[in-house]
Amino acid sequence: MLGESRKAQEVFHATLREAAQRAARGELPSEPFWLFHDARWRCLEATKSDLQPEALEIDEHDVAPTAASQIERLDPMQLAIWISAAPDPQRTALALFYLDEFDYREVLDLAELKLNELSRFLSNGRRQLQAWLDAKFPQQMDV
Amino acid sequence: MKLLSSIRRQRSLLNCAPISARQSADRSMRSAISRADGSVEFTNQQNFDRAVARLVRLIPIPAESAEWFSEKDLVPTSRLPWKKMVHNPAVLAISIAVAVIAGVFVFNFLSRLNDFPGSATARKLLGVAASTRPVMLDPVNADAGTLSDLFFMKHGLEHYDVPAEFADFGTIGCRVFEDDESRRIAQIWVSEKRMQFFLFPAERDSKTGVVLRFPGWRYVHQEGWTGVVTEHSGVCFMAALRGHDKDFEPYISKSADK
Repeated sequence: MLGESRKAQEVFHATLREAAQRAARGELPSEPFWLFHDARWRCLEATKSDLQPEALEIDEHDVAPTAASQIERLDPMQLAIWISAAPDPQRTALALFYLDEFDYREVLDLAELKLNELSRFLSNGRRQLQAWLDAKFPQQMDV
Repeated sequence: MKLLSSIRRQRSLLNCAPISARQSADRSMRSAISRADGSVEFTNQQNFDRAVARLVRLIPIPAESAEWFSEKDLVPTSRLPWKKMVHNPAVLAISIAVAVIAGVFVFNFLSRLNDFPGSATARKLLGVAASTRPVMLDPVNADAGTLSDLFFMKHGLEHYDVPAEFADFGTIGCRVFEDDESRRIAQIWVSEKRMQFFLFPAERDSKTGVVLRFPGWRYVHQEGWTGVVTEHSGVCFMAALRGHDKDFEPYISKSADK
């Protein structure tokens, strides 16, 4: 979400410290995923003053059958930085979806999105990542 | 229009399809997946998503953050205050159920505590007393104590004697009938407090046939009726009236064993 380890750690610690204090006071909210909501808003707050990614026309390619092998060649941190560079709320959608812990209804709730918006963000994200992968690891084209 | 919107929604759902099978999916998602299952586009998407998810899991977690997920509880488990627990519907329902079961158990236990040989028959006869009308009995104008001879002479019932405590009451009527176990029961209606007397065979040991005796007077209760029972010479005597134990106090001796 932040693309910077130090900031991520600060947000992480602040979120958990606040949660521990609320637990000690017996004021834990009953709503599900409140901790993730809280963490998300802290992330957005932390990046508010940063340079925001511009809305650029990014190359998009159809997801290729060979994408899995291209992704395996990626460094995990490169992927993390690629996701964090996406504009929010697409960034939130990609981060939550690929954590592989939430189903789409939970992501809709957490990211405060509608189904068609989440669908567009994920679909565009895949196509953009595929274009980046193609640029990074060019495939031999069949002639 | 509706078809177009349905296709769009299915397309949207497919774009959000769960990465792994262990994730729960609602009905509409399952339906969308089953329609797209096997299509090249969807297969590519799933392979793509799984590969990304595998890579995400490899993103290193800083040691300082990993410490938070050590064996210690992140947030200490707070014990529910007992007042909150009591207001929990599940706890409340279980408590009520347990209380009802305990109540029934105690009621049955107390009922059985006063049981004695013949108490079941006595309770049945209290039911008979409640439903008896004077016209059902043969009119007799004599003291209750003198009916022993009538029962012996006319019905061959030996030791069907009314105890001394109730022997002097004037009789309105009497009869002899058989209960559902073919035991012969003598019933006497007296004018005093509209009491009814019953004489019936005492309970016997099913193996040895020996009379199961019990000392003094015992009380039984059934639907507002109270009976006081004693056994003598293998025959039980019960005086019954609509009322309470204290209604019998003037009649039975102070040695009555409650």
